[in-house]
Amino acid sequence: MKTILKNGRILDPSQDLDMVGSLVLEDDQIVEYGNDVQADDADEVFDCTGLWITPGLVDPHVHLREPGHEYKETIVTGTQAAAAGGFTTICCMPNTDPPLDNPALVDFILDRSASPEAGGVFVAPVGAITRGMNGLHLSDLAALKKAGIVAASDEDFPIQNASVMSNAMEFCVQLDLPVMAHCEDRSLTEDGSMNEGAVSSMLGLKGMPRSAEEIAVMRNCLLSLHTGCQLHIMRVSTWGAVEMIRQAKYLGAPVTCDVSPCHFVFTDEMVGEFDTNFKTLPPLRTQVDIDILLQALNDGTIDCIASAHSPHAGHEVQAPFEEAPFGTVGIESVVGVTLTYLTHAGILTPLQTIDKLSTSPARILRLEAGTLKPGETPVAQVTVIDPELQWTFDVHKTFSKGKNTPFHGMSLKGKSVLTFCGSEIYRDAYFDEARYQSLD
Amino acid sequence: MRRNLLGIRQLDPRDIEDLLAQAADFKKLIIKGKSVQTLNRHVVGMLFFENSTRTRVSFEQAANYLGLRTANFASQASSMTKGETLKDTILTLRYERLNGLVMRHRQSGAPSLAARYFGGPVLNAGDGQHEHPTQALADALTITERKGGLKGLVVAIIGDVDHSRVARSNAWLLSKVGAEVRFVGPRTLMPSHTGMLPGQVFYDLSAGIADADVLMCLRLQKERMDSGLLSSVGEYAKLYQVNRDTVRLAKKDCLVMHPGPINRGIELDDVAADSDYSAISNQVENGIFVRMAALKYCFGDDETKQTEKSSKGKAKA
Repeated sequence: MKTILKNGRILDPSQDLDMVGSLVLEDDQIVEYGNDVQADDADEVFDCTGLWITPGLVDPHVHLREPGHEYKETIVTGTQAAAAGGFTTICCMPNTDPPLDNPALVDFILDRSASPEAGGVFVAPVGAITRGMNGLHLSDLAALKKAGIVAASDEDFPIQNASVMSNAMEFCVQLDLPVMAHCEDRSLTEDGSMNEGAVSSMLGLKGMPRSAEEIAVMRNCLLSLHTGCQLHIMRVSTWGAVEMIRQAKYLGAPVTCDVSPCHFVFTDEMVGEFDTNFKTLPPLRTQVDIDILLQALNDGTIDCIASAHSPHAGHEVQAPFEEAPFGTVGIESVVGVTLTYLTHAGILTPLQTIDKLSTSPARILRLEAGTLKPGETPVAQVTVIDPELQWTFDVHKTFSKGKNTPFHGMSLKGKSVLTFCGSEIYRDAYFDEARYQSLD
Repeated sequence: MRRNLLGIRQLDPRDIEDLLAQAADFKKLIIKGKSVQTLNRHVVGMLFFENSTRTRVSFEQAANYLGLRTANFASQASSMTKGETLKDTILTLRYERLNGLVMRHRQSGAPSLAARYFGGPVLNAGDGQHEHPTQALADALTITERKGGLKGLVVAIIGDVDHSRVARSNAWLLSKVGAEVRFVGPRTLMPSHTGMLPGQVFYDLSAGIADADVLMCLRLQKERMDSGLLSSVGEYAKLYQVNRDTVRLAKKDCLVMHPGPINRGIELDDVAADSDYSAISNQVENGIFVRMAALKYCFGDDETKQTEKSSKGKAKA
């Protein structure tokens, strides 16, 4: 089986490549690309004129919810959503029930995600740092690493005790395992449900101050600097946190970070009359923060973009604001939102965009992904994006079980339309079938 | 026209003036012993998810005067304790054919959620730290009676502003009708950012109440001490109590108000609470009349008008 992606704009940040040409897939591998490829004996041709051909996208932060919260999402629906969003490799978070703190659960997730009914993408599990994510006793991280975790994190239950975090980092240095951290000093955010600011004061909601995020960012950066542990800070949201990370990088700490689309698009004013679709963790901040986040995306202080895909059931979201859970779905809207608000807005070049969505997260988490170089990934991982496609995001047409999103109904420009992971795993309804030719 | 009353923030100054005028009318009629049983077709659910004696009694009285029947719903005895979601409770009451809801809830914004699913008027009787619109109306009616109006008055709201829905509703109302609002209290009990609230902040009592026409004291919850927001009740009282001495800093004919229940000796002393300055008992009584006006605002009087219109139509035909 030979497939040609013909005449597209090939964007591969792993080799700083931005050229017009064609890419050849044979069986499950990329065999060559360029403007002089062997295409005579192809079985099928996709005319990619005007489209981008990129390495399969990589999402460092996805909640698949299984085991334990299958009513919110399953490995099957979550991986299908990932394929539809243009992703070929995703990292799943450990806050399942039970949490991902033992090797048997890692095996379970890898088995389920490889099953035929799943979406066909690679799932890279993130293990819990502490047992039951209790914040006190370390999990058997060596055994977890052997089972296949790519990083350790207590995610939404950030370790509060600095000594526990320090020990975790020492262990992870030894195991050569990155630590991913959601940064929040919980003593400052107790009962909080949105950003502490003028809007929370007006609505009478307990605020979550920016200092809660910044104190934890600073602590974790210092621990990383002094232990030498690779630290990836998840979804940074305040200008102060960005400045701390900039400083930590300057000091030589092995620190990276990501941002999620909600945080560079919306401010806390969007909460309006208690709209729970705008309840995120960290909370939505202010325009000053967005301005600095955009600048940091552009200058590279923010390394990558994460969907922070957090599906919840309708009954959980349709609740009083303080009671509703944090988080929004995002894996099926992240490409459209990123292209609309960053690429078309001139914040990121097309090559930078694909770096943030693929090559950079793959490099940080050492995943075999994020490149078009033949033989560098276990199977071919390729995404085709239509950068000019105007479409409206309709959450009711998504694969994810979660329908909690602030992006529903928004008009976006740019969409992933084809996803290959070994074989073609997703073809979007917006893909123009006239571009497809089967030569069998 | 059916409409919700979820907060003062969303109201036009015109709505506020109409509500106060209507409340004053009701008060005159009730004192004269006239019957105003105009809403006797409706049954309103009284949903008090948070304990309240005075607001509940006041709403019951208002409903009685209007001929409105009430269906009581105590949260302890309800299915909420059996794990039902608020949305399902509201939908149940909708299909129990209740015509309206008076709702108090410990969480800010809960009545907005109820309004989304109920399908009839929802009247906020206090939600979390967000709004308490009928208390603000009662206070405004009281000030109007005693001062002849609201425009141009200086009103100091004193105490735990951050945790107070009464403070927020009062600030919205008073600023919308042209009064000057001051928030007075310690930094730890002040909203972190007051940029979107209509009032000027004072941390010093004497500066905050200087030449004020109205001193509106807020109740100090004792649990604020446990959460470390205050050092002691004694220190709070020394710094922020409205009493025989501090009341002199305000205008000579100032009003002293309190939404109740009062912690005597903490936010107010006996002299300030019981003197001629005090308007506290008027606030309680006026609560009934503004709640009548609020119920009428929510249910409207379109039905009676429509009946008139249709009968006229018939006569013509």
